[in-house]
Amino acid sequence: MKQTKLLNILAKVKSFPSMPEAAAKLLKLLDNPDATAAQIGQILRYDPGLTANLLRLTNSAYFGLPCQVGSVNQAVVLLGWKKLIQLVMASCVNAVMGKPVPGYDLPAGELWRHSIAVSVAAEGLAKELKVSASEEIFTAALLHDVGKLVLGGFVKGDLEKIETEASRGISFEVAEHMVLGTDHTEVGAQILKNWSFPPALVNAVRWHHDPDSAGKTDTLVDIVHVANILCLMIGIGVGREGLCYEPSPLATKRLGLRTNDLEMVASRTLQYVDDLCDVFEAK
Amino acid sequence: MRYVVVVADMKVGKKEDSIVTYALGSCLGLTVYDPVAQVGGMLHAMLPLSKINPQKAKANPFMFVDTGVPELFKKVYSMGGQKARLIVKAAGCGQPLGKNEMFKIGDRNYTILKKLLWKNGILLNAKDIGGTGGRTVYFDLSTGRTIISSKGLESEL
Repeated sequence: MKQTKLLNILAKVKSFPSMPEAAAKLLKLLDNPDATAAQIGQILRYDPGLTANLLRLTNSAYFGLPCQVGSVNQAVVLLGWKKLIQLVMASCVNAVMGKPVPGYDLPAGELWRHSIAVSVAAEGLAKELKVSASEEIFTAALLHDVGKLVLGGFVKGDLEKIETEASRGISFEVAEHMVLGTDHTEVGAQILKNWSFPPALVNAVRWHHDPDSAGKTDTLVDIVHVANILCLMIGIGVGREGLCYEPSPLATKRLGLRTNDLEMVASRTLQYVDDLCDVFEAK
Repeated sequence: MRYVVVVADMKVGKKEDSIVTYALGSCLGLTVYDPVAQVGGMLHAMLPLSKINPQKAKANPFMFVDTGVPELFKKVYSMGGQKARLIVKAAGCGQPLGKNEMFKIGDRNYTILKKLLWKNGILLNAKDIGGTGGRTVYFDLSTGRTIISSKGLESEL
């Protein structure tokens, strides 16, 4: 029975939409140290919608740039091309992440808002803690819950069983695994693998609820883990399962996190989320 | 009118109005109601103390319990609410699993609320506090009824 469920889930993962072509090309550039602004411009030239989104994002209050940016070249100079690629990724996944998510009971737009919030909080934490996390932190945080889009329907079908397991004080993704044979972190990681994402990103999505099992410790995983729980706590993307997740004491220790850091980042996150979400809603 | 209170926000209303706030996690949801004047308000505060970010508190006092709660009471008084008649209810202040003190923002939010109310001689009439459940609060200003929805179940506070 569980086996059949798992096969059904894996089939759904396989048929999950592929990454838009422009995003896939740009992602390859992320791993290429010799990529240039010209190469990025070349890819974007054929996608005016994406370029427009990118400029709108660049000019959002989140980045606080001193002047209005009017071209991709100028954006590369001011933000750096790695940051820019991440913004393009955000534009690309906006449509798919904006859908309502059954099972977790997230209304339309809420998973997207949560994803943006975790990205902003993750970058905020890295800055506050003065730790060097990889450039991919924004994208890792943005996509950490992508598995929920596939698993949601299955969670809905077995919600009673999953909630019964979770009511014994275990984390919700553990309860998912017990009932469905997989959980939203595994499913998310598989989607990103299918999209040929870099291993560091796949890893961050896979272990965002269980950073201590990630094999080798990775600041990127720890930060996404903490940022996710923080955003749920402040009510951005809290679904049916509420706060039924467990922050890892080891991850907070590894990061050298203090209560003040957590509250400070929380206080800053909200405004940035509104700024960035406004950009997408204004489309 | 039907008002929605977002995170770090407050709304007040009168008879025939209703106020709702969605998805309380660790945040405090506080309702204040005067059944005679039929006026009231709801606060959705995120963090316990404004000293963490005074600049934000100045721009938006509703982000913090210590600055948001007094604002809520002041506003309800200004609409004709009287202290002796007020019915005060609290919801939210949940926390994730485990014993990690750092993540007990909900606990700290509730502690600061209790301190504030105690200092001002105000009783808390009802509460639905703590645990891992997310909560949505519906507040009817004609009757003062406060309904909490959590994990698909509704209950009156």
